[in-house]
Formats: sequence, C-alpha cells, structure tokens
Amino acid sequence: MILSGYEALFFWIFALAAIFAGLLTVMARNAVHSALFLISSLVSVAALFVLARAEFIAGVQILVYVGGVMVLFLFVIMLVNVGAEERGTEEIFNNQRQVAASLIFCLLLVGGVLYAVNKGYRGLQEQNRITPEAAAAQEANRDKSLAPSATGSSRITNDSQSLAASLYRYASLPFEIASVLLLVAIIGSVMLARTLRQEASADDVDPETLKEEMVRDPELTNLEPQSE
Amino acid sequence: MIMFNLISPTLAFLFQDAPRSGFEQIKYSAANPDLAKFLVIGALLFIIGVAGVLTRRNIIVIFMSIELILNAANLNFIAFSRYLSLTGDPDAIAGQIFTVFVIVVAAAEAAIGLGIVIALYRNKETIWIDEIDLLKW
Repeated sequence: MILSGYEALFFWIFALAAIFAGLLTVMARNAVHSALFLISSLVSVAALFVLARAEFIAGVQILVYVGGVMVLFLFVIMLVNVGAEERGTEEIFNNQRQVAASLIFCLLLVGGVLYAVNKGYRGLQEQNRITPEAAAAQEANRDKSLAPSATGSSRITNDSQSLAASLYRYASLPFEIASVLLLVAIIGSVMLARTLRQEASADDVDPETLKEEMVRDPELTNLEPQSE
Repeated sequence: MIMFNLISPTLAFLFQDAPRSGFEQIKYSAANPDLAKFLVIGALLFIIGVAGVLTRRNIIVIFMSIELILNAANLNFIAFSRYLSLTGDPDAIAGQIFTVFVIVVAAAEAAIGLGIVIALYRNKETIWIDEIDLLKW
C-alpha cells in the first residue's frame, strides 16, 4: 500500500501525533492528562485507518474507544483518588531498577521489531513488487468504477459494504460469540463494582461475613434480605 | 514538507530507472509511505504501550497502555488488509473484520478491568500496583 502526495503528508502528521500522544500517555503525571493524550492518540490512529481506506473501522474506533471506553476511564479516574499523584508527592514510575530493566527490554524490542519488519517486508516486496505509479494507476482505475457522490467532487466507496457483507457472511458465529462476550462483560462489571451494602440487599453475602461486617457498619442490618 | 511532496514525484520520475541510493532513497520512501511505515508506527505504539505497562505504578494508566497495545495491533491488521487488497487478494477484508473483534474484546476488557479497579479501590484504598501485593509471598 503506497500513499503519495497529500496522503503521505497526512500520514506523517498523524503518525507522529499518534506516537507522541502515546508517549505522553505513558509519561503524564496526572491520570486525566493520560486519558486525554490517549484520546488524541486513538483519534490519530483512526485518521491512519482512513488513509488505509478503512473508513468504517475509523468510525467504530472513534465511537467505541473515544466515545465509550475513554468516558468509562475518565469516570473511574474520577471515582478513585488521584490527588496525591497530582500534588507530586507520589512517584509515578516503579523503582529505578525496574524502570531501567524495562527500558532496556523495550529498546531490545524496538531493535528486534525494526529488524523483523525490514527483513520481512523486503521479502514480501520481492513477491509482489508494486511501484507508487502502478499503485496510483490501479487506484484510479478502481475509483472510476465507483458511483459518484451527490456533489460530484468525490466517489462513494463500497468498503463498508463489503466489510459488512463479509462480517455477516463469513464471521457470523464469531459475531454472535462477541455479543455473548459483551453480555458477560456487562454482568461481570456490574457484579464486580457492587458495594457490600448492595450485595447485602441482594442477599448475596455469606452469612458469616455479613455478621462480621455488621459490627463495623450497623446500617447493614436494615438492608437484610427484602425479597422472599 | 509540501514543497518536498511536490518535488519528490519529479525526483521519483527522474530516478525511475537508475537505482536510487542514500538520501534520495530516504526522501523517496518518505514521500511514498508503504506497508513497512505502517508496521513501524504500529510497532512503536506497541512498544510504548509495553513500556507503560512495565514502568507505571498507576493501575488505570496501565489499562490505558493496554488499550494502546491493542490499538497498535489494529493498525497492523488494517495495514495488511490494505496491502493485500492492493495485491488483489479477495479475502483482504478479513483484516478489518479482525479489527472489529479486537475492538469488541478491548471494550469488554476495559469494562471488566475497571470494575476490578473499583472493587480493589474499595477494599485496599489504593491504585498503586506495588501496594497491591496480596498474592506475593
């Protein structure tokens, strides 16, 4: 896949934005700042998806990650106390030896991955060699067969259409399994996040534990099983 | 950069047959990002995520780093899907389908993980992973 002209320019802008936002996510002292940098990294990656002609995935990325998951993250950051981190009284990284070891590991990983990409891509290129000019001509040919949009300045792609067709035709079982997974996740997170009081009112606590906890929190007695 | 983009196609045309070397090669490949560039960006995002998981103490930031790792994998899937569709592979769209499932699993993982963080904070009053050492002997 070879981009050229303005696509190349935008590729470098968004690639650098994604990398720097990712770095700042890891390095920011305040967890809220981390979340905001992660949002900008995700949006930049969504832009890279658009450049790779995966418009639907880019939309899903923004809707699910930025609109859903990151809001969840921000709520959890709000619920737990991060005051100490902001005031700078707490160290945000592990102890120095662990950090040094993991940085060395990451540098080795960078070297290994770059070497692998370099070697592997060269082999791949020898298999099917395609020059930028040929790729551009191929793209132009493909675009000509698409229907023009209402304004006539661009064309309507059928990428999302073919994605949906393949998703429901060839991956319908994984799709159903994914929906079950999401259901399990919903139930699991509700169960995990309940407080002891909520558990007691649903009669979901071991009687022995409940007796012990009642000593600490007398209000629990009022919440004794309301049902049945 | 724009000037560079305008100039480089001319350079590419001039050097079409002659083997490019050194700086010209770098310029040419920068003006025409290909699969390898996407893979390198994906790899760097992945490694930044790994570094975050290994070095940070805040459990929420560790979860964010995991999202970064999953996103890097998505970028690789999309890049290969695009590459294969250009070479005429009819099954190239599979990469995008995989990405949909990765996003689903990431959403489920974030929901469960943050539920665990809330439960942990309620019991241990901390979000620092080095203070959560119940399973350490």
